[in-house]
Amino acid sequence: MSRKLGALALALGILVGAMELKTLLATHSNTVVIMANGVSPVPKFPPPSN
Amino acid sequence: MVAGVCFVICSIVRGAFARYFFLNLYVILSMCADLIRQVVLRFFALDSPQYMYAYFYTDCLLTIALFIAVISLASHVFAELNLTRYVRLVAVFLLLGTAGFTYAVVAQSTDLLATRFALELSQNLYFVGLVLTYLLWGAVLKLHETRTRLVQMILSLGLYFSAYAGSYALVNVAPKYETVHYIAPILGCFLPISWALTIMRHSEEARLTPARLVAVPR
Repeated sequence: MSRKLGALALALGILVGAMELKTLLATHSNTVVIMANGVSPVPKFPPPSN
Repeated sequence: MVAGVCFVICSIVRGAFARYFFLNLYVILSMCADLIRQVVLRFFALDSPQYMYAYFYTDCLLTIALFIAVISLASHVFAELNLTRYVRLVAVFLLLGTAGFTYAVVAQSTDLLATRFALELSQNLYFVGLVLTYLLWGAVLKLHETRTRLVQMILSLGLYFSAYAGSYALVNVAPKYETVHYIAPILGCFLPISWALTIMRHSEEARLTPARLVAVPR
């Protein structure tokens, strides 16, 4: 049980760390996106309407 | 594409296809996705919704495959400690947590909800994969892992993720420069090339020599 809770805590820690890193890297972001896979050109994504 | 084919052929020839099945799966899916994108791009423009849908949905699928590939490498590293079950548990929690978090972020959007979800999930999972790879680097160092293939595959994965994070930051810092937008597609070739070189150059039995302990006189 404690190992399962440990796994959950580790997963949450990783998730929080990853989102912190994303926020840090995209601090001055406009709607620019960058994708991690393949060599094809990245299309432009329309900005949110709301 | 050539690098991907080379990696898969090398894996089959050197008998490593089953052992590194999820890495091969990612490379095969990556080639299929590139093929689909090129076919769509041949009939529709770069700014067309058709290409946008094809690109973002295939990218989401690929990022999930890459995440599973990272988890499979973690399973190899922790197999000797009998922690494979908990690695899978962490992976499931992470995947569900990331999906839930992403949905919470995009739920307010009124248009293109599914596409926005695919895009955000892809980016969030990518950063989760980045953190996981760094943790895996730490585990490899701490456990004194000596399997050359495994170590080099994890190192190249870490370099790939780091380079993408760097290019992501660069695009955000200097979006007006056209050249920074080409870095990401060029980096797309790096992973299959490095994995193919690893499979070609090293056998499964190859081990790294651990650094010798230095005797310090008292």
